[in-house]
Amino acid sequence: MSAPAAPGPEVPEGGPPALWDPIVRLTHWGIAAAVLLNATVTAESDTLHLWIGYVAGALLVLRLVWGLVGPPEARFGAFPPSPRRALAHLADLLGGRPKAYPSHNPAGALMVYALWATLAVLVLTGIALAPDGPGGTADRNAAFGRGEWSVVLEGGARLGERDEEMVEDVHETAANLLLILAALHVAGVVVESRGMRRNLLRPMLLGARGRAR
Amino acid sequence: MRPAILAGVVVIQALAAAFFLGDVAADLAVGARDAHSLIEAGVTLALALGIVFGAVELARTIQALRSQEAALRAAAGALGEVITEAFRDWRLTPAEADVALFALKGLDVADIAGLRGAAAGTVRAQLASIYAKAGVSGRAQFAALFVEDLLALLPAAAPPAS
Ligand code: HEM
Repeated sequence: MSAPAAPGPEVPEGGPPALWDPIVRLTHWGIAAAVLLNATVTAESDTLHLWIGYVAGALLVLRLVWGLVGPPEARFGAFPPSPRRALAHLADLLGGRPKAYPSHNPAGALMVYALWATLAVLVLTGIALAPDGPGGTADRNAAFGRGEWSVVLEGGARLGERDEEMVEDVHETAANLLLILAALHVAGVVVESRGMRRNLLRPMLLGARGRAR
Repeated sequence: MRPAILAGVVVIQALAAAFFLGDVAADLAVGARDAHSLIEAGVTLALALGIVFGAVELARTIQALRSQEAALRAAAGALGEVITEAFRDWRLTPAEADVALFALKGLDVADIAGLRGAAAGTVRAQLASIYAKAGVSGRAQFAALFVEDLLALLPAAAPPAS
């Protein structure tokens, strides 16, 4: 019995982790719930919509920090974005012999970056549209009254009346795109799980000792 | 602390930081520069830094637990080899080797007899033969033979989880 050289995570034969670390799991299901809630349940003008958006933003930032300091399979370096390798992986999948990767597979990695980027756009435009945050309705009204409602977007951009419509459009488009991507993402999970004969859902759930074997 | 609990704390901190950040940004956006807003900004920054350190600490804990687990698995595998080798040196019969393993696992005579579908007397005789071949006086000494091996196998770098 020769143990793998690196004291790696519980990786069965070079595949993805048997169980993703708690930060990946908590941020993922928090973000997924937030996205679905804000897309279906809450109205745009609700304070709750803004709160949920902030929660999603916070979880996203936490996941990105985790991509720098987390355990090896959660780091960006473990799943570099590469369209070429993603295509190669999809070809392998169609051919019925997908390889196992220690982190996200190349196609999954591209999807994760696309989801993150879309979510980031969504959150940033959301903040731009409600600059004083969910708690600051009173502040906002006062600022409106003084005619100096403005925004701290990255780079200190200030939003005028006409820009607001544009930002709103971007926000809506990003929201729709995110839902489409999420649907593709879930379809991808199903296809990969079949192709690799490995349940990819279980490692994202709580089953602490749920080994897919 | 268990990683899951630590992770929960980090997530809650991140949500709190987002709340304060939204509040501070709102204050600054409407031009507030009073002591309250500035202190709040400082506190938020400190919280954000704390989260990053918390995340680093959590990642370390996860890695430490993993290498401990790996060390334990390696030691358990190696101990298995040590035991098989010892049984061979002592020329235990296959039946005796089975009984000896059960005895090492802490089963008593009745349990072993039940598992092997043998009479208790047979098991007792086999145990006596095993102890004689190993040159020990009884079960406690027999088990102690391997405890030492196990301790030698565990790397010093893997202290028990605190
Ligand atoms: C069917 C089970 C699902 C599995 C196994 C799964 C798995 C994953 C994995 C492994 C990641 C990468 C996480 C990371 O590296 O941090 C991810 C990202 C993501 N997933 Fe899922 N997912 C599932 C369902 C969903 C659903 C229903 C949504 C609904 C919106 C969703 C939305 C997202 C989003 C927005 C991301 C990127 C943000 C993040 O890192 O969490 N996922 N998913």
